[in-house]
Amino acid sequence: MIDVSEYTKLYGDTVAVRGLSFHVAPGDVLGLVGPNGAGKTTTLRALAGILQPTSGRIEVAGLDLQKDPVAAKARLAFIPDEPQLFDYLTVTEHLHFVARLYGVQDAAPRIPALLEELELTAKKDALPPELSRGMKQKLAIACGLLHRPAALLLDEPLTGLDPVGIRRMKETIAARAREGTAVILSSHLLHLVEELCTRLLVIRRGQMVAFGTIEEIVAARPELAGRSLEEMFMALTGDDGAPDPTGIAAS
Amino acid sequence: MTVTGDTTTPAPARAMLFLYWRSWVNRLRSQAARVRSPRYIVAVLLGMVYLYWALFRNTRAGGASLTQLLLADVTVVLASTLLLVSSARWWLFGADRSALAFTPAEVQFLFPAPITRRGLVHTKLLRMQFAIFVNTIIFSVIFRGDATQVATWARAIGWWMLFSTLAMHRVGASIVRASALEHGTAGRRRMWIPVIVFSALIGAVLFGVITEFPALRAASVGGFKPLVKALTQALQAPVPHAALAPVRLLLTPILTAGTPEWAWSVLWAGLVVLGHYLWLVRLDASFEEAAIEATQHRAQVLQRFRASQMGQARSKKGKLTSVPKLALTGRPEVAIAWKNVAAAVRGGSWKAQLVSFVVGLSALALISRSASERAGDALMGVAVGWGAMLLFLGPLWMRFDLRLDLPRLEILKTYPLEGWRIVVAEIAAVTILHSITIWSLLTVPVVMFVQDPQLFIDSGATVPILVSIVVGVPAFNALMFTIQNGTALLFPAWVRLGTESRGFETMGQNLLTTGATTLVAAVALVFPVGAGALVLWLTNDWGGWSVLAATMLASLIIAAELWPVLRWLGTVFEETDISDVASTT
Repeated sequence: MIDVSEYTKLYGDTVAVRGLSFHVAPGDVLGLVGPNGAGKTTTLRALAGILQPTSGRIEVAGLDLQKDPVAAKARLAFIPDEPQLFDYLTVTEHLHFVARLYGVQDAAPRIPALLEELELTAKKDALPPELSRGMKQKLAIACGLLHRPAALLLDEPLTGLDPVGIRRMKETIAARAREGTAVILSSHLLHLVEELCTRLLVIRRGQMVAFGTIEEIVAARPELAGRSLEEMFMALTGDDGAPDPTGIAAS
Repeated sequence: MTVTGDTTTPAPARAMLFLYWRSWVNRLRSQAARVRSPRYIVAVLLGMVYLYWALFRNTRAGGASLTQLLLADVTVVLASTLLLVSSARWWLFGADRSALAFTPAEVQFLFPAPITRRGLVHTKLLRMQFAIFVNTIIFSVIFRGDATQVATWARAIGWWMLFSTLAMHRVGASIVRASALEHGTAGRRRMWIPVIVFSALIGAVLFGVITEFPALRAASVGGFKPLVKALTQALQAPVPHAALAPVRLLLTPILTAGTPEWAWSVLWAGLVVLGHYLWLVRLDASFEEAAIEATQHRAQVLQRFRASQMGQARSKKGKLTSVPKLALTGRPEVAIAWKNVAAAVRGGSWKAQLVSFVVGLSALALISRSASERAGDALMGVAVGWGAMLLFLGPLWMRFDLRLDLPRLEILKTYPLEGWRIVVAEIAAVTILHSITIWSLLTVPVVMFVQDPQLFIDSGATVPILVSIVVGVPAFNALMFTIQNGTALLFPAWVRLGTESRGFETMGQNLLTTGATTLVAAVALVFPVGAGALVLWLTNDWGGWSVLAATMLASLIIAAELWPVLRWLGTVFEETDISDVASTT
């Protein structure tokens, strides 16, 4: 569903991401983790068609994001860490806007259902400045889900949500994955990653240091066996004694 | 800070000095870093030239006249009255609560910190001094006369004393009022003395005006100038003169700069400043709650302003301004244009302004035409002038397009649309709305025609010209908005994006945008205007329906010019890196 091949992004002489290759199948939830500045958001933005890769190829649902960006974008949804909403559209109007933008045929029945699923029904006539941070996040996610994307890209999706909202959001993400959506989720919340993700992509300084299921990563790095995800993360991304990043990536 | 064992003695003044100093240095550094970009250098230079022109041009234009105006009797008397009324307002009608506002960060760090109330007051005073210094410099430059004279610097000290006293008085009044509200009856007792004093002073001024009322009335017959002169004389009578004496004490160092009296006047004014300072730091009245409330209020106002740019989407009763409903299916570009219409209607109160504009123009047209033919013609002239100004300057004000949306480029770029379609949709809404605004000026001739049908029959060239305006305005607006949006896309650093921007480069950015728009529009209009003129020349019909034909041809040429430009701007949109825009907002 999502195929990334040798993706590299340079800003002048600075390497943001180098030679990243991975695949996310339908129904997979890929956890994109790494320390601050590792290149997670840059990667997600490239997958969303926001940033042009310096080199490499990105395909979404078999469509080349560089050659056929419109068709590819119609099949994906990107929810940034900071919700980007329009101040003068109500919650419902945001969904109407997205429905029209993405040509959602069954928007009329889907909009109330999505509002209900994301607990936004009571706020359907509110403007973004009248919403809490968590509500804004839910609205951004509702907008992303309306057109049933084949690929869902989430950057820190739980920021600002209350415990009930977090549970609902996890259920929502898992439900979409069960329906066959390929999900990439970037988060610093390792317990969320552990709970939801079927695979992990660990990057550091723009390079892949591990990719695969936890079992596959442990198989590639036997010394990580028996460790918690947090300990694995520290070992994989820490500066001390880290081996050559390119040498340890699992399949 | 002094070390005492494991902790240090709190030194809030030093901490605040450190905070303000470092904030200033870091801001300068970040601005200097931006200037490394060549396009910013141009903007900064232009901004500085503009600042120089705005502030220093008075030397070349004969700045002495401004200084003379300052020294005139009328200025002194009226200024002292205004200052007295302004100060009395804080006591009699409630102080401006924003006077107690801190920044949210200051509230977060200072209020829970081991700082005395007096320390907080000092913090506030220190912060105020930044604005006071800036105002002192601006006023000193404007009224300096000749910068080489000592009087300029002496006058600057006078300005500083005046602004400092006013600022301290305002804060003091706010603190006393806040404390009065918090402490009920006991607090209100503190208010009595200042309320009585200021009531007496204002009463004395009113007494002077009322006793001279017949003279004022007689003078008003002669016009504005004799009235002001009579008012000045009334306020120079012994009673109001005495009431205004404390304020005059503060104004005297500004007026006597460069004369032997200045030293004494500074001494007296200095005593007023010192008295205010001592009063303020010894107040010891609780004001923290009011300060927090004022801070929150200010933060909300700022946030609202930044978010909405102009207004609020809801009425005071909470009703949301309605916008046309968007059909769920159809061309996706329409959704983007519709979104911008919603922003203009709700954020810019476009609809409300248009309705009041049309109603106002209709009423004016009715009244003026009824009054006399000459008045009607004058209103037509005003409408034409206003329309011309809207055509050229409207696209600078009406910003519900890419200029508002570019800070959200991250989301715009995920839309499943080709870049040029997004650009066209962004420009379409403002083009249509602004065209409707300009068309609304046609209310004036239409109302006059309805009022006097004979006028329509005898109108001659007027009707073809009006129809041509209806046809030509959208094309012209499309051109102007394309230039504005194109400049924003090509040079995001040169255009004010989103809702907030400040600094020297902002002035440069505005100048550059205006200059570029004018230049590009002039070039783009060469062919359309030329072709239109050719039609009129060939038909030799400069006042008939050939004007419409010429306008239509010109509009078609503009459309033909815009088409490749919009396609190209779409490519630019697709290739614009979000970091280019993010660094400018």
